[in-house]
Amino acid sequence: MLQKSMIKISSKKILVGSALLAGLTTGAFAHFQLLYTPDTALSKGKTIELREVFTHPFADEHTMDMGKQHDSKELKSVEEFYVINKGKKTDLKSTLKGITFTGQHNSGKAYASQYKAQRMGDHILILQPAPYYEANEDAYIQQITKSIINVAGTPTDWDSDLGLKAEIVPLTKPYAIWEGGSFTGIVKSKGKPVPYAEIEVEYLNRDIDIKNNKTGKSYVEAPQDAFVTMGIKADKDGEFTFTLPRAGFWGFAALGVGNDKTYKGKELSQDAVIWVEAKPMR
Amino acid sequence: MKKVLLGLIFLTGSVFAHTAIMSCFDNGDNTITCEGGFSDGSSASGVIFYVLKDGKKVFESKMTEDSEVTFDKPEGDYEAVFSAGEGHSVHVKSSDITE
Repeated sequence: MLQKSMIKISSKKILVGSALLAGLTTGAFAHFQLLYTPDTALSKGKTIELREVFTHPFADEHTMDMGKQHDSKELKSVEEFYVINKGKKTDLKSTLKGITFTGQHNSGKAYASQYKAQRMGDHILILQPAPYYEANEDAYIQQITKSIINVAGTPTDWDSDLGLKAEIVPLTKPYAIWEGGSFTGIVKSKGKPVPYAEIEVEYLNRDIDIKNNKTGKSYVEAPQDAFVTMGIKADKDGEFTFTLPRAGFWGFAALGVGNDKTYKGKELSQDAVIWVEAKPMR
Repeated sequence: MKKVLLGLIFLTGSVFAHTAIMSCFDNGDNTITCEGGFSDGSSASGVIFYVLKDGKKVFESKMTEDSEVTFDKPEGDYEAVFSAGEGHSVHVKSSDITE
């Protein structure tokens, strides 16, 4: 009898312990809005696949339901999704199709879309999802996300300052970086630099299986948690540089730099995200 | 003499520092659009463009203000040529032009 109750207590302890650990794990790694396409430097125009997933790119320990709200079970749809090529803006919201995306530990509601990147030059894709309710923090997160693809190698729009509420304006073409090269950007809010902005950097550590909408095996292991989400800061002019040690996709998220600070009466972190691709040198 | 030398250096620099680029696509209505440009982002407006078929020019024009040209799709194989001077011409084969 005594033995039984002891076992009971210890299993309860273990449960509480693992729940705490799960809580810590979720809190420790950064949320990143993914705006993924397999190749950002296209030799010629073509229709590309895009996946819009709210996830943790390095650890892949939780895939969020995009547009989750605290006061409703219904997910809120994407606020804005468009592309700019040679200064011309085209709305892409109608191209988004709801999907279930499967990570290593769970599945989440995400989107898939296709885009005909026909014309030469840069195509700046901007995704503004609805704020997401993060229950652990009782707060909302909205990541205004930029991915830039290029057709044929002529630069046209990549360095444009779009005056977004939260934005990282690149000073390096995000699609033309060798592995081992560096990326420089300026954190801005409505065109104004944000001094000493806090930036989280993560490597997309998994294959994205476009066909089956799921992640594959991880590429590298972090020696310690500080390498999973790397925290850096912009300088007094909002500028930062980061060296990309490995080919693949790197996400940069400048936290809480947007104008909007509350949503539905709760705290809102309006972040600026940009995705950068380093190409292997071979 | 010094001025001339400097001028030459500058000219050389600007000519060789960038690459001519052209990309073409089929509009699906029996016309083809070719866009021209340079790796430094400069405009291709006014650059000579022509279409070769069996070694003969069947269309000739200049790149518009928007650095592009649209022409009727020739039957069979052809080649689109962006001719921005010596060492700067780009040839795109019809087999590489898709919708």
